[in-house]
Amino acid sequence: MLIRIQGGRVVDPTAGRDAVGDVWVEDGRIVPPSERKPDRTLDAAGCVVMAGGVEVHSHIAGGNVVTSRLLLPELYVSEAAPEGHPFAHAGGAAGWIGATYARMGYTTAVEPAMPPVHALATQLELADIPLLDRGALTVMGNDDQLLQLLRDGEGKAAVRDLVALNVASSRGLGVKCINAGGASAFKDGALKLSLDDEIPCYGLSTRRIMGALLDAVEEIGVPHPLHVHCNNLGLPGADDSFVATLDAAEGRRIHFAHAQFYAYGAADPANPMTGGFRSAARRIVDAMMENPQASLDIGQVVFGQTVTVSLDILRQFGGRKGAKPKKWVLNAGDAEGGGVVPFLYRPKGPVSSLQWAIGLEIMLLSGDPERTILTTDHPNGGPFTQYPRIIHLLMSKEERDREIAALPAVVGERSELPTLEREYTLSEIAQLTRSGPAKLLGLADRGHLRAGGRADIAVYRDDPDRTAMFTAARYVLKDGHVIVEDGTVVDWRAGRSLALAVESDRAMERRTEDYLQDRYGQGLDSFAVPDAAFAAEGPVFEDVACRG
Amino acid sequence: MAAWVKGGAADADGAVQAAAAILAAARTPVFAGLNADVAAIRAATHLAGRIGASLDSLGSAGTYADLGALARVGAMTTTPAEVVGRADVVLLVGEAPRGAALVERLNATAPSRGRAAGGPRTLLRLDALSPLPIAVAALRAHARGHLADDHGLLALAKALAGAQYGAVLYDPAELGAAGVEMLQGLVMDLNERTRCFALSLSGADQDRAALQVAAWTTGQAIRVGFGRHVPEHDPWRFDAARLAASGEADAALWLSSRPAEAPAWLAGLPSIALVSGEPDPGMAEVVIAVGEPGAEVGGVLWNEGRAGLSYRAPAAPAARPAAAEILGRIAATLDARKDA
Repeated sequence: MLIRIQGGRVVDPTAGRDAVGDVWVEDGRIVPPSERKPDRTLDAAGCVVMAGGVEVHSHIAGGNVVTSRLLLPELYVSEAAPEGHPFAHAGGAAGWIGATYARMGYTTAVEPAMPPVHALATQLELADIPLLDRGALTVMGNDDQLLQLLRDGEGKAAVRDLVALNVASSRGLGVKCINAGGASAFKDGALKLSLDDEIPCYGLSTRRIMGALLDAVEEIGVPHPLHVHCNNLGLPGADDSFVATLDAAEGRRIHFAHAQFYAYGAADPANPMTGGFRSAARRIVDAMMENPQASLDIGQVVFGQTVTVSLDILRQFGGRKGAKPKKWVLNAGDAEGGGVVPFLYRPKGPVSSLQWAIGLEIMLLSGDPERTILTTDHPNGGPFTQYPRIIHLLMSKEERDREIAALPAVVGERSELPTLEREYTLSEIAQLTRSGPAKLLGLADRGHLRAGGRADIAVYRDDPDRTAMFTAARYVLKDGHVIVEDGTVVDWRAGRSLALAVESDRAMERRTEDYLQDRYGQGLDSFAVPDAAFAAEGPVFEDVACRG
Repeated sequence: MAAWVKGGAADADGAVQAAAAILAAARTPVFAGLNADVAAIRAATHLAGRIGASLDSLGSAGTYADLGALARVGAMTTTPAEVVGRADVVLLVGEAPRGAALVERLNATAPSRGRAAGGPRTLLRLDALSPLPIAVAALRAHARGHLADDHGLLALAKALAGAQYGAVLYDPAELGAAGVEMLQGLVMDLNERTRCFALSLSGADQDRAALQVAAWTTGQAIRVGFGRHVPEHDPWRFDAARLAASGEADAALWLSSRPAEAPAWLAGLPSIALVSGEPDPGMAEVVIAVGEPGAEVGGVLWNEGRAGLSYRAPAAPAARPAAAEILGRIAATLDARKDA
């Protein structure tokens, strides 16, 4: 079917395009303008046409997300189901996640924390998220097999083979490390870990583990750079950890998750843990500008109740006494485990207000929105449903001023936010939410509107109320099919799960089989993610090629 | 396909039609058991969502003891492989854990990872002379220094506090929600000084698979009702045995493609049983024999040794249908009736 999206303001920064025009779609792809009569015309007059949004870091599936629902069942509200999907309005559930992202014009979402031991559960859950393409990052860095191999001084090839095996067996899209060595250290009594602290029992450091993973990712040719969750998240002085980690990458590609939580300079360097923090947004942004091979996502804070979920059990244990309401789960599972701590970003509270300001500050100071990706680290900084509001704040100085006026003075005293005049353009928003994340994931077929691209497209009514504009799209197309009209899902299609096409080494398979048998009394087959495990009628997975 | 309607042998279509007729006529049907693979649990949940049924599971006594404590205070937990690899002190709470296969393995091995590696492992018991939750509370009081008069408990408390990696094993069905809450409190207290984690031993049911499917499908735990087209979670209201005893349920679907005894109340109302093995044709109004996942058909099951889900290929493939397939056919039949 040939579709013409007619007369909208087409915004595609990858093609330098920001003008009224048409976008043509056929067989799931964007095609050049056609002489033929379209089978369907979508009137986009008065609308903005962008590529579908791409999410790089949102906790939408996996054991911790399941636990958070059981710990805090009251967090979401469920509403009566619409026609076509029995669970689309079940708050916080897979159907709701897919529908809510799609309504906002997002068409791809990546779960950033899939432990290989629970890959099948995570992938089954992701496969139940409708409408979107989805993927997951394979987490390594705390598992005994990897740490042993590094302790024993085995070479780069062995690490590469073990990482490739884990990505292949879990069907990951990339690799992530979370406070590398921190979960292991916690189990052995440590309560704090910095880049060069020794991981008990292994004689390793975060620097060594992360360095080995950075190399492995390059050698395998994973399109997405190593996705790094640094040490000391959320602590005053975490900016030092961020910058030290960036230095430790030594020019290798690296992505920093939820950077806002590290842009906290110690307000009183003599007493870093008691003196509170001030914004280090400018320091973080400057470091990023000097390192064009690095990227970050924000982890913007949003006011209100949420629940933090993280495989960084060291950090979650440290934060347990701040739980609100006062209940929390810490699972010291195999390798990473996970921690779930409910949290309230107190509206107008001084600490949460400063956190809120710092996230916006990083985006507004950034000289390269494509490497400054919008996330809330859902649900850790707040729910992804707040993206439209955050976009509104970025695009309107007036809107920011209105909000800042209601916040405590600390926002102006400890951050630059009130002085920043910048207003994001629609092109920059597209970089922040489309082309940037797509490039970061190495998905060349999306994040743009050029001919040949995947026809994942969002059409928004151009409305000065950007919150309203980006909450409910006029049209959303997924693979060339209209799935949303006027903010309502009209076609409950299933997307695919994106998995890296990577071969695992036979010798490493045999070694790992022996390791797992010894540890679990079960081998690789009990960790596998086979197609037969999925109930879907069509194919669930789609291969993504490694870098050549 | 082996199937029976009202005790008489039936063909597949007849049994599916009869099952659909029971559900179509029901106003408050209940689906119970959910002792099956993920695909079947998922199919049952979707069918329940479409027709407004409620869900309950085979192991709900234990599952809800854990969940009750979880939603009140949280938990601090570990996995079987971590206990085997790391624990130097293991406390068995109550009678049930003593027979667990894990305990045999713990007795036969010593810590091999982490800071306790190379040292011995001590297994301790908390006997229930008083009611078990009271015994756990007394142990916690001794561990916190609030009580010091029971030498046995004092010794247990000291052993746990002196452990490098302690683990406390319990069966939630035996301990109950109040006891689990107290036990989690004990473990959290101990972590002010050292590392200690709780390990809830799962039963032979598939509740832990069902719990995950429920959470990601409805946003809630297993006992969910869809009668008002909104998933409503209520552990008391949607207790299947209670619904049957009170007469609130007017039809039931029993799903157990893994071996388990069906509840006696099943025969007391119009019912459907999807079961493996050699079913009693009189156990329900409609009985359909389905393949046992991991044995006769493939399926994703809770894997206790790994504390996760694993796909299990059929060990000896049989010509029986998978439970998910039958549930899908029942759903399609109901959809066709609705359209007609």
